[in-house]
Amino acid sequence: MKIVVCIKQVPETNDVTIDPVTHNLDRRGLAGVMNPFDKNAVEQALQLKDADSDAEVVLLSMGPDDYAESLREGMAMGADAGVLLSDRAFAGADTLATGYVIAQAIKQIGDVDLVLFGRQAVDADTGQVGPIVAEFLHQPQITYAASLRLSGTNEVTAERLLEDTKQTLVATLPAVVSVRSELNTPRYPAPRNIQLSFAKPLTVWHHDDLDLDDSRLGQAGSPTIVTKVYAPEPVKRELTPLTGTPTEAASQLITALKTRQLI
Amino acid sequence: MSKPELWVIAERRLDHVEPTTQQLITKAKSLAGDQFKVVTILLEATTDHLENELTAYGPDEIRIVRDDRFPTATDAEHADALKQLVDAYQPNSILFGATITGRSIAPRLQAKLQTGLTADCLDLRFDDDTLVATKPSYGDNIMCEIICPDHRPQMASVRPNTFVATPATGDATITTATVTFHPVDRLKVTTARPVVNTATTVGDANRVVALGRGAASATTIDTATKLAEKLGGRIGVSRPLTDQDRFTHDDQIGQSGNTIHPELIINFGISGAVQYLVGMQDSQTIVAINSDSHAPIFDVADYGYVGDAQAFIAALLAQFN
Ligand SMILES: Cc1cc2nc3c(=O)[nH]c(=O)nc-3n(C[C@H](O)[C@H](O)[C@H](O)COP(=O)(O)OP(=O)(O)OC[C@H]3O[C@@H](n4cnc5c(N)ncnc54)[C@H](O)[C@@H]3O)c2cc1C
Ligand SMILES: Cc1cc2nc3c(=O)[nH]c(=O)nc-3n(C[C@H](O)[C@H](O)[C@H](O)COP(=O)(O)OP(=O)(O)OC[C@H]3O[C@@H](n4cnc5c(N)ncnc54)[C@H](O)[C@@H]3O)c2cc1C
Repeated sequence: MKIVVCIKQVPETNDVTIDPVTHNLDRRGLAGVMNPFDKNAVEQALQLKDADSDAEVVLLSMGPDDYAESLREGMAMGADAGVLLSDRAFAGADTLATGYVIAQAIKQIGDVDLVLFGRQAVDADTGQVGPIVAEFLHQPQITYAASLRLSGTNEVTAERLLEDTKQTLVATLPAVVSVRSELNTPRYPAPRNIQLSFAKPLTVWHHDDLDLDDSRLGQAGSPTIVTKVYAPEPVKRELTPLTGTPTEAASQLITALKTRQLI
Repeated sequence: MSKPELWVIAERRLDHVEPTTQQLITKAKSLAGDQFKVVTILLEATTDHLENELTAYGPDEIRIVRDDRFPTATDAEHADALKQLVDAYQPNSILFGATITGRSIAPRLQAKLQTGLTADCLDLRFDDDTLVATKPSYGDNIMCEIICPDHRPQMASVRPNTFVATPATGDATITTATVTFHPVDRLKVTTARPVVNTATTVGDANRVVALGRGAASATTIDTATKLAEKLGGRIGVSRPLTDQDRFTHDDQIGQSGNTIHPELIINFGISGAVQYLVGMQDSQTIVAINSDSHAPIFDVADYGYVGDAQAFIAALLAQFN
């Protein structure tokens, strides 16, 4: 069984500021780390591998060369190999263009049974790349999985938590699954595995290594444009007093919460 | 020439309509002006009548597709049906609720249409016929505006409870449309059980009942726990309460605890120290109950009651029952 885990590298902290002069995001001095949700996906893949020693776990990331750090981190956790998709032509991609290149790379890797994604990247926060890749691969998707196990030679069973429903889903492989963070606690790389990881293959694929339609890449292949980035104004609130006896006040609150569709 | 269409994709929540759908209809109507026709797309079973929960909000049209497989259809099956409708009617824009379901179906449809989708928006406006969507990033620390100038339809998912649904006049025309349902045999929903509360920690709860030093007795905590259950939420605490056996650091809200932004937080007996406020002031709706009318927590609250925490919790719980 071959499992691909897609990982993104993100700034170490979410405390980013806006440069008051250029109005750009000030990311100076922010080290990159593996997107925390993606560690849950790596952990899930490793648990499947623990249960099936024939399984192979390949990490896949699209980004600049320094994304290799996250791939190394994932290999130190226990993944078998890493593939970095790095090319100027891929830069400035929105979720659609990102999903396209990742899907083409998964086809190139070949014979992939299961593709795992994190819940969302903690910087842009969209959670869109997983379903986009699933569509491009014409595969079934299970999003927001709260548990995942192999339930047959060619089948996975997952639980998925919707707002007020817990579903059990059974997918025939190949399939795409994105995972919630509650699913597991990611392991720390053991010193021995860190040592071993340096011998593991980290392949870099550039534009010409993949079968790509140039019009679908990077900024040119991205329908969306970020036109403005700014620091949010603190929400201005106006206090509505609840008055009278506790019973009267509680009843006013219930009416207000119903208007706001909170109950 | 007929007006271009602005779509709201209706979502089901158990046997009802997901409230975000109604909120989006109200917002879409205010955006549409004379420029767009607001159409709600509803995929439901032949015996369903979810449109009855939508007409009061006054969309121009509710377009229904009926098939008994829709209530349990998977994301890909939904996206496939919506793609057929988009091809047939060519809407200008499509809005989804940024619920788990919406955030799973919308990007799948986006990929089929090869267009732009802005995620989890907090505001929307039109600049001519281009949708300008405002979305938070970096854990809500940064806002950005995103447009999709050259592709139609343009798509956005909108965070639940961002807009308030308001009943409106206007006769919604109810029409039906047909699509071919393409079943995907490789994925099956084998069970679906309603759960009151999917939150496992205060960090991912949508509703939080927060307790401070003025709401720390065993009776108050018991009553508050029942209230949290009724709301489908969790208990969170200010730092002093983490000294109690019943709570740990994981339950703490604030600078040295969890930063949360639930849809609703009700604060009982919490003064509102800055270290507490930074952990919760971005919550959508904030309620505070405190015996001291000058407590700083009231400065960030939408609703406030000056009085005894225990008496208020008991009265509130009684009215929920
Ligand atoms: C402030 C800001 C806001 C943005 N908003 C939008 C928007 O609303 N719509 C839009 O289309 N684009 C948006 N983008 C662009 C978007 O960030 C990029 O397309 C990015 O490459 C992928 O999207 P994401 O970060 O949201 O990942 P998500 O879709 O949240 O990531 C989900 C999962 O996909 C995998 N994954 C994501 N990126 C990669 C990668 N590079 N390599 C390997 N695996 C990956 C990981 O498993 C991850 O957990 C925004 C960018 C910025 C800077
Ligand atoms: C570095 C640092 C980090 C910190 N981090 C955090 C943090 O992460 N989270 C945190 O919470 N605190 C934190 N603190 C502590 C913080 O400064 C406050 O001391 C704490 O938040 C106070 O908790 P409280 O509001 O429950 O208690 P108090 O400040 O004692 O307030 C109790 C409130 O209850 C009201 N009250 C009393 N009786 C009743 C009644 N019967 N009915 C209704 N109201 C009543 C009172 O009027 C009062 O306003 C931090 C402090 C420091 C220095």
